Amino acid sequence: MNNNLNIDNIITINNASVIYQKDNLITHALTQVTLEIKRGSFIAILGRNGSGKSTLAKLLNASLLPDIGEIFVDGINTNDESRAFDIRSKVGMVFQNPDNQMVATIIEDDLAFGPENLGIPRAEIRERVDWALKTVGMYEHRLRATQKLSGGQKQRVAIAAVLSMAPDVLILDEATAMLDPRGREEVMDTARKLNTEKHMTIVLITHYMDEAVCADKIIVLDEGRVVTEGTPIEVFRQVDLIKKAGLEFPTPAEAAFKLKTLGYNIPVVLTDDELVEALCQLK
Amino acid sequence: MRDVAFGQFYPADSIIHKLDPRIKLILMVLYIVGVFLVNYFFSYIPVAIFLLIIVFSSKVPLNKVIKSVKGILLIIILTAILNIFFNKSDNVIWSWNFLVVTDGGLKLAGKLALKLLFLVVGTSMLTFTTTPMGITDGLESIMKPLKALKVPVHDIAITMSITLRFIPILIEEIDKIIMAQKARGAAFDTGGLIKRIKAFLPVLIPLFVSAFRRADELAAAMDARCYNATPNRTKLKELKCMPRDICALVISAIFLALVITLPIIWKVLQLPLI
Repeated sequence: MNNNLNIDNIITINNASVIYQKDNLITHALTQVTLEIKRGSFIAILGRNGSGKSTLAKLLNASLLPDIGEIFVDGINTNDESRAFDIRSKVGMVFQNPDNQMVATIIEDDLAFGPENLGIPRAEIRERVDWALKTVGMYEHRLRATQKLSGGQKQRVAIAAVLSMAPDVLILDEATAMLDPRGREEVMDTARKLNTEKHMTIVLITHYMDEAVCADKIIVLDEGRVVTEGTPIEVFRQVDLIKKAGLEFPTPAEAAFKLKTLGYNIPVVLTDDELVEALCQLK
Repeated sequence: MRDVAFGQFYPADSIIHKLDPRIKLILMVLYIVGVFLVNYFFSYIPVAIFLLIIVFSSKVPLNKVIKSVKGILLIIILTAILNIFFNKSDNVIWSWNFLVVTDGGLKLAGKLALKLLFLVVGTSMLTFTTTPMGITDGLESIMKPLKALKVPVHDIAITMSITLRFIPILIEEIDKIIMAQKARGAAFDTGGLIKRIKAFLPVLIPLFVSAFRRADELAAAMDARCYNATPNRTKLKELKCMPRDICALVISAIFLALVITLPIIWKVLQLPLI
């Protein structure tokens, strides 16, 4: 085990590389990624398709092991295969397609799947399921069929299904990619609420920059490497770097950036409100 | 495609819905045995009464029940027609060239059609009134003794549950693919049988591709939720046998006994054996 692990970090990635080999073609999916994710933080991992962000997500719950380097989740090395289920109960993962991650027809039965697999006593499963449903605001729907819900509601159920395993970290792997704007908003609100009210560590993997705005820290990936990391303001300042990574700015940031190139004295803004504020300050 | 009702759960608050799924599974087996034991038309009377009691006390709307038959109506009709022409016994009623219809053939065709009809309606009542999870839990509980023989009872149960969950999803998907292919000019309802079957290939291939992709994603999601983490799985819902379950079992046993003894009673009363 690594001796200098910082206990403030729920996840530590040490110099991890993933290489796919098919016939004679070698693809570097991830190259020397080193990251620290603090307990209770909200991290956004940004990158276009094929940037390696989903590979990174798979490393975090031990469904993929790095070819080089190591990953620690709450002090457990993911290379230790006997602890894979311990890691997965600590790191909950929500995927892109809500339909393809539910096993049961009735919502509360689906939520029970995770804790049942872990062998949690019946009374505690009931408590966890109810708690998770209330947390995502789906308690009154608990006996309905999953098929009848909207996309946003389905994805909130998927989040609840992971919460019922009582994880320390919630990974949203492109969880909003298939949703309409309203559904995306529902999921993002739920994620933010979990972070601020329940102090859950959130890792948001996305290619929408406007979703990353509310994160404590943004990590930008491109071609399997960490291009830059920092607070949203720090990251969004690096206009050229972001554009090179194939990402689109949130509309207010893009507007501010264009105004700046036209000679207006305007700071980096992230939200509509900040843009309005900045415009009002202009003389 | 959307009106395929077989295998769908219909939520309602009825005594049939509340029965223990294990009991319902046993009842279904008894019912199937009963239907297969029927040899005469009059023996269908107790079966029909039994089925009607179930249908009406389950609060499942009648048109839903009828829809479940629609899916296999073609098979029923085909079986009946084949039996009418290929079974030659008793008196000839009608003949033309090589086609001969006998009253024995007619009777057999009628009995077979009724048999299929009762089987489908009866078994679909199970899926109408029991959630897939209920059926799964029930099966798992009934098959528990097989665990000693290293049969992966839980895996079988979860496979069944997933199958039932994905039926409506895949039906929806077929609808979408058909629309997409129609938008590109595919014709599904013109031409002969062979042409129509061929026209379905561009629907089946994307459907299979998508089904495999779904399977892959679902497997990843199940892994992420610690599937098979421990052999000592727990259950949120415990199956409990209530007095009403015993009651249902007794009533069904009486009906089964009636089906078996009815021909004997008929003979004693010297009624015509039809």
